[in-house]
Amino acid sequence: MGSMLGDWPSFDPHNFSQLRPSDPSCPSRMTPATYHPTHGRTLPPPDQVITTEAKNILLRHVYQRTEEKDVLRPKRAPSELLTPEHGCKQPRASPL
Amino acid sequence: MFRSNNIVARVFQRQIYTPAPGTSVHCARRFYENLVPSCTIYDVECPDHLFRKFTDDGQYLISFSRNHQDLIVYRPTWLSFSCKEEDCDAHDLPPKSKRFESFFTQLYCVSLASCNEQICKDFFLYMESNQYGIFATSTAPVPEAPATGGAIQGVPFIEKMTFHLLRLGDGVILDEKVFNNDFVNLTHNVGVFLYDDLLAIVSLRNQAIHILQIRDSGNLVDVRAIGAFCHEDDELFLNSNAQCMALPDKSKLPQLPENHAQNGLHHSQPCLEDSFLSGIKQRLLSFIFRGIWNEEKDQSLRVQGLKKKFYFHFQDYVDLIIWKVQFLDRHHLLIKFGSVEGVVSRNADHHPAFFAVYNMETTEIVAFYQNSAEDLYLLFEQFSDHFHGASRNSLYMNFISSPSNNIHALEQLRCIKNKANGSSQFVKKMLSSLPFSCQTQSPSPYFDLSLYRFDEKLISATDRHRQSTDHPIKFILRRQPYSLKFKIKSGPEGGSTDGRTKKIALFLFHPFLPLALSIQQTLFLQPSVVNIHFRR
Repeated sequence: MGSMLGDWPSFDPHNFSQLRPSDPSCPSRMTPATYHPTHGRTLPPPDQVITTEAKNILLRHVYQRTEEKDVLRPKRAPSELLTPEHGCKQPRASPL
Repeated sequence: MFRSNNIVARVFQRQIYTPAPGTSVHCARRFYENLVPSCTIYDVECPDHLFRKFTDDGQYLISFSRNHQDLIVYRPTWLSFSCKEEDCDAHDLPPKSKRFESFFTQLYCVSLASCNEQICKDFFLYMESNQYGIFATSTAPVPEAPATGGAIQGVPFIEKMTFHLLRLGDGVILDEKVFNNDFVNLTHNVGVFLYDDLLAIVSLRNQAIHILQIRDSGNLVDVRAIGAFCHEDDELFLNSNAQCMALPDKSKLPQLPENHAQNGLHHSQPCLEDSFLSGIKQRLLSFIFRGIWNEEKDQSLRVQGLKKKFYFHFQDYVDLIIWKVQFLDRHHLLIKFGSVEGVVSRNADHHPAFFAVYNMETTEIVAFYQNSAEDLYLLFEQFSDHFHGASRNSLYMNFISSPSNNIHALEQLRCIKNKANGSSQFVKKMLSSLPFSCQTQSPSPYFDLSLYRFDEKLISATDRHRQSTDHPIKFILRRQPYSLKFKIKSGPEGGSTDGRTKKIALFLFHPFLPLALSIQQTLFLQPSVVNIHFRR
C-alpha cells in the first residue's frame, strides 16, 4: 500500500505505510503504526508496540481493585488500595 | 488577558486564538452565553399531542397522540418572515408567525399500537449513527399476577410487549421484538439501556437480561440472554446431560410407592429450576465465596469468615434478583441486585441493594459491592461520565455536567456530602442513582453548570415532569458579570387563574439551537399549555 499521504515529500516514505486499528474494540479505525524517534538518544525497544488500552479508565480501576483483593493479603483501608496510575498523580479524594 | 463578553469580540478572538488543548468544545459553548432563548411565545396553538423529546442530534421532535397509539414526528425548523420597515428589531413578531408550525414541520404520523395496546409514552431511545428510534407498545399490565414458570412474585404481568425499531427519517418500521408474558420496566428508560448498537433489556419477571444488537440494515438480532444461562451453549450442555441422567431414574420408578407413580413421569427429567440456581446467581455466589476465602490465609479463620459472612446470609444472597442493568463498555455490565420486596415497593431505599460488574464475554463477575461501599462511591465521584455509557459516536455525552467533568457539579456534590447525616447514608443515596438510565439527560449547553446557574429543583438536564410554578425560572451567568440572561416560564403569560390545582411542567430543550418548549399540564387530562422559548 502506498503512503497514506500520497505523493507528498516526506522524510521517510515508509513512515505511514503500516496501518493498524488503534482501538481493538473498533477495528475499522486505522492509524499509522510507525513511531520514529526524532533523535537517536532515546531509542524505543525494537519490539515495542503502542496500543490504546481497550478498557476504559473506570473498568481499569475496577479490575485493579479486584486483582489486589485476590492476592492473599489482610484487608487494607480503601485509600491505600486506590493506587495512582502514574507516580505524579495522587488520589483526589480520601474516604471519610 | 482581557476577555470581552461581547459577541463580536468573541468572534474575532475565535479567528485569532486557538483554544487550549482539549477545551475546544468549552470555548465554543461560551457563545451560548450570548445567544439565549429570551423570547417567549405563550400558549401557542399546537396539536394536542404528548410531546416527548428532541432527539439528541436535534433532527426530530418526538410526540405521541393522546390516545397513545400513534407516533408523530416533527422536524425542528426556524421561523422566517420578512419585515419591510427600517428598524425591524423594535417590531414585535407578526401574529401569523407565532405559531407552532413556524418552528416545527410535521414529517409523518405512524400508528404503532393496535387496538388493545398502548405506546409506552415514557420510553424512547435514539440511535444517532443510523437515526433509528426505539419505541415500545404493550397491552395493559396486570398488577398482581401469579408467579408461574419461575417468575418473580409481585412483579406485574404484561401479556404482550413489543419493541419497535423505526427509521426516523421516513417513519418506516424496520423490525420488532416481542416479549410475551413478561414485564420490563419502561418508565424513564429504566429497564432498557442502549450503548452504541447494543441494547440490554431487563426482564424483571423472568429475571433475564436480553442483549440485542441493532444492525445497520435495521434488524434487531438476539445476541445472548443472561440469567438462567451465561454462555450461549449452556442450555445445550445441560439438556444433553439431562437426557443421560434421565435413564437411571426410569429404572427406579417401579420401586416408588403408588401415590408417587403418577408423578413419576414428571420426575424422570430432572427439574432444572429446582436443582440448579440460575447461571448468573451461581457466578455471583461463587465470586462472593472466593472473595471471603481469599481474605484469610489461615484455614480455621477462613471457615469462620465464611460462616459469618457467607453462610449466615446465604438465603438472602440466593433470593437476590436483578433490578437494573447498564453497559459500562461493550463487554461489561453493571447489574444492580436487590430483594424482591424492593422491586415491588415504592421506596426502595430501605431495602438492601448490591452492585456487580459482569463481563459478558468471560461470563465472570469482576466486582461486587454493597450499596454503601465507599470505594464504589469514589469511582462514581471520579468517573461519573464513564457511568453515563458514553459511546464513541456521541461526542456531546462527555460534556453533560457531572461531578467528574465539572467543578461546579463537584462542589454541589461536596456540599451535599458535608450536610449529610452520616457517610453511609450519603453513599447509599448517591449510589441509588446507579445504574444510570440511558438518554435521560438533555445535552443542551444551557444546562452546562459552567455557563449557567439555575434552580435544579425547578429545572435540570434530566427530562422529568416537575412541579410547575408561576414564577419564571432564571438562568444566571456563572462568570462575570453574573447577570440574569434569560427566564423560562411555563404556563400562560399572566399566570394561571386557578392556583389550587396541581400543575406539572416538562421542559424540552433543543440540543444545540436556542429553542425550548415548556409544557404545563394539569393532572386532569385538560389540554396542556405549550410555550415556545427562542432567540429572536
